[in-house]
Order: sequence, then C-alpha cells, then structure tokens
Amino acid sequence: MKRLINLIINNKPYEIAVATNKTLTQVLRDDLNLLGTKEGCGLGDCGACTVILNGRPVNSCLVLAVQADGCEIETIEGVAPDGKALHPIQQAFVDQGAIQCGFCTPGMILSAKSLLEKNPKPTEEEIREAISGNLCRCTGYQKIVEAIQVASKTMKKR
Amino acid sequence: MLLLPRFDYEEPKDLHEACKIMAGLKDNGKILAGGTDLLVNMKKGLIFPKCLVSIGKIPGLSEIEPQNGSISIGSNLIVAKLTEFDLIKQRYSILYESAASLGSPLIRNRATIGGNIVTARPAADLPPSLIALGARIKLKNKKGERELKLEDFFKGPGETVIKKDEIMTSIIIDEPPPFSGGNYIKLGHRRALEIAIVAVASFITLDKPDGIIKDAKILLSAVAPTVIHAVSAEGALIGEKPTGKLIEKVASLASQECSPIDDIRGGAQYRCAMVEVLTKRTLTAALKQAKKSR
Repeated sequence: MKRLINLIINNKPYEIAVATNKTLTQVLRDDLNLLGTKEGCGLGDCGACTVILNGRPVNSCLVLAVQADGCEIETIEGVAPDGKALHPIQQAFVDQGAIQCGFCTPGMILSAKSLLEKNPKPTEEEIREAISGNLCRCTGYQKIVEAIQVASKTMKKR
Repeated sequence: MLLLPRFDYEEPKDLHEACKIMAGLKDNGKILAGGTDLLVNMKKGLIFPKCLVSIGKIPGLSEIEPQNGSISIGSNLIVAKLTEFDLIKQRYSILYESAASLGSPLIRNRATIGGNIVTARPAADLPPSLIALGARIKLKNKKGERELKLEDFFKGPGETVIKKDEIMTSIIIDEPPPFSGGNYIKLGHRRALEIAIVAVASFITLDKPDGIIKDAKILLSAVAPTVIHAVSAEGALIGEKPTGKLIEKVASLASQECSPIDDIRGGAQYRCAMVEVLTKRTLTAALKQAKKSR
C-alpha cells in the first residue's frame, strides 16, 4: 500500500506517494531521479548512500521513506551553493585527487560537511572518525583526509 | 540491490495506541526504532514481520530526563546523543565510552539505545556498561507496565524476557555513588563498524578516595551467550584495598569465568587471554576515576 509523505529535499518541498517497503535511497534514486546518492551494500556498512537527515548524516538505505515523512534532507545535489560553482569541500576533493571512481564521494563529502559544520577545525583523528562509516575501495583514505583538511582551511577564510 | 519484503506499517501517535496495535498483532508485529538491525535482517531474508510499528512519532520516547537522583532515557533516543550530552560524558562516562564505540557515526545517528538492548546481541556495546551502572528498564503493554533490572532481561543470543506485545519505553539509571568510576574497552579488528571480539566494562565504588572497594562490577561481553558478570572476580575485589597485585589476580579470575566460542573474529583461547588484559586495563582506569570522583 502506498502512503503520501512530505519531504524537503535540498530546500525544495516534495509530496510523494511511496510504498512502505521502499527505502529513502530507493525513493531518492527511482522516484526523484536524484542519482548522486549511491547504493552500495544496502546494509549500512559502506556509507555510499549517506544523506543528511534533519542535520545528521545517516545511511539512507536503512531509513524507510515513510520514516522520513516531514524531514529535511540534503543530498549531494544540494551541496554546491548555487548549483554551479562547487562547494569548497567538493573543490578540495578535486584539487587533492581525492576522487577515483567516485562511488564513495557523495557520502564522503556529506559526512565531511556535517563534520565541518559542527567542528570547523577538526584534527586528523576527528576527520578519520567522522568518515569511519564511509568506505572507499580506490584511493585509500589519505587523500580524502587531506582534502577535508584543505577544505577546513579554505572554508575558514571565507 | 537488497530489497525489503512487503509489510504493513503503523505509526501510532502515542504509547496507548502503540500498545493497542501490538496487542492486536500478536506474533506478527515488530517495533521499528532506528532500523539499523531490523531492516538489515529483513533485507537478508532472516525475518519477515507482517507489520512494522514505528515508535518514531511517539512523543517522550527520545529524551534524557533527570528525575530525583537518577536519569530516565527514552528507548528511542539515538546512540549519537549519548555521546553528545555533557551529563552522560561527565557522570556516566562508561556509557559514553560504549556508545562512542558502537557502529559508525552514520549508524549512531539512527541506532537507538532501546534497539541495542532488545536485539540481545551477545556482543552489543551498550548492555555491559548499562548493567555495570545498575540500569533498569521499563516495559509496557496494554495491561500495564513493569520494571526490571537490565541484567535479568537477557536469556540468550537474540532472546529476552520481553513479551510479544511489550514495548520498551525507558532505561533508568541511578546517579553513580561518590568515589566511583568505570571504564569500557572494546577490542575489535578495526575501530568502526565492528562487532567486538571481546569487550569488558568495569565499575568500582570505594568507601573513600584511598579506601577499600565497597562495590565492584565486571561485565564480560562477546564471550558467552549473553553479557555476563565475572562473579568470582567481583567477589574478590569487594572489601579489599585496591592494589596492582589484586587487580592482576582478579583479571586472571575473570578470564576463567568466560565460555567463548571460536569464530571468524577470534579463537576462544585468544578471547580468554584478552578478557584478562581488558579486565586489568578497565579496572585500572575505573580505579583512577573513582579516586578522583566525589
């Protein structure tokens, strides 16, 4: 049976009918065509499906869309301020070579964004902790950590 | 992609309505809180509940409230909040330590304290610390409410004394006594998204800052079907003056009390050896904190 839910995604309101057994990842990708959110393991282990739900990064594969009714959601599509210029974290990932295949990148960037909003000057240890739910199988984590350190500095200057 | 089977979905607006729904569902209902365990098991095809009853819209289940000398924690409170409140960090640091080692930051933003208890995983992170702190839990159904000690709740892996129609509503912890301290250490292959190979929670209370041990709790996790007390080790501490030698002796007693299995995460022998090491470390840290606390 379908239910009508209301979501605010990247500051835009949506009203959608969803089946109760659909996850938030499925609804974002299949119903709303927001394909930046990836599904990796589907079990909460890899973090590719990370979105920011009411201010907290979560595994959207373990959230039922109906549970998110009335929530505010930020996906990777909403990160760049005007939709054109990259967000400083995105720019830092590009500049530092922190991207290879790109599958983990949206999740990494959203976890990093949540961290830097709460803690603008994190230590390396705090950065590694913040992305510990996001797995990368290409680059290793060093360049990702460095990109977040660079982003922390460029965001402070603004 | 792993798909969820079909199920009905209920979203009661208060506890009264939730209890009524659970009573009507008999064996067919499952409470949905954070979903980080339930939805995984459903995707893997291990369970097929006919109806999920979300407690997310019930007010009052997601708060920490101080109430005359103790705190009451709503069962639907997310684990991340246990790592954020100063009150927990300062007065219940052993609970903070176990919460901070659960899953990953992403999981902690969904997983709930009640869920980590009700699923009754032998290696769950919160129960050892909660039992060490003497936590009690409240269970509610249509007929009424009961309160029991958390240590009386677990029966075996995945098995507890909760009835099919009961909902866990809150966890109550008394304020730790003066001159008490605790510590939780989880041993895993990595520091995030890990199921403990062995975990130990120790909590001791002194009669005065450099006095004798009045009370001692040593909880061993992932080395038996449920979290267990190291009974002889606890007994050997009580009434004694804490010394390095005593802690060595007690740690070796603790390692004789566990009955671990060999599995992919570690051998039984290794686990016993690690119980000894972690008991020593947690007791030493707990003692240091007890001497400073008031």
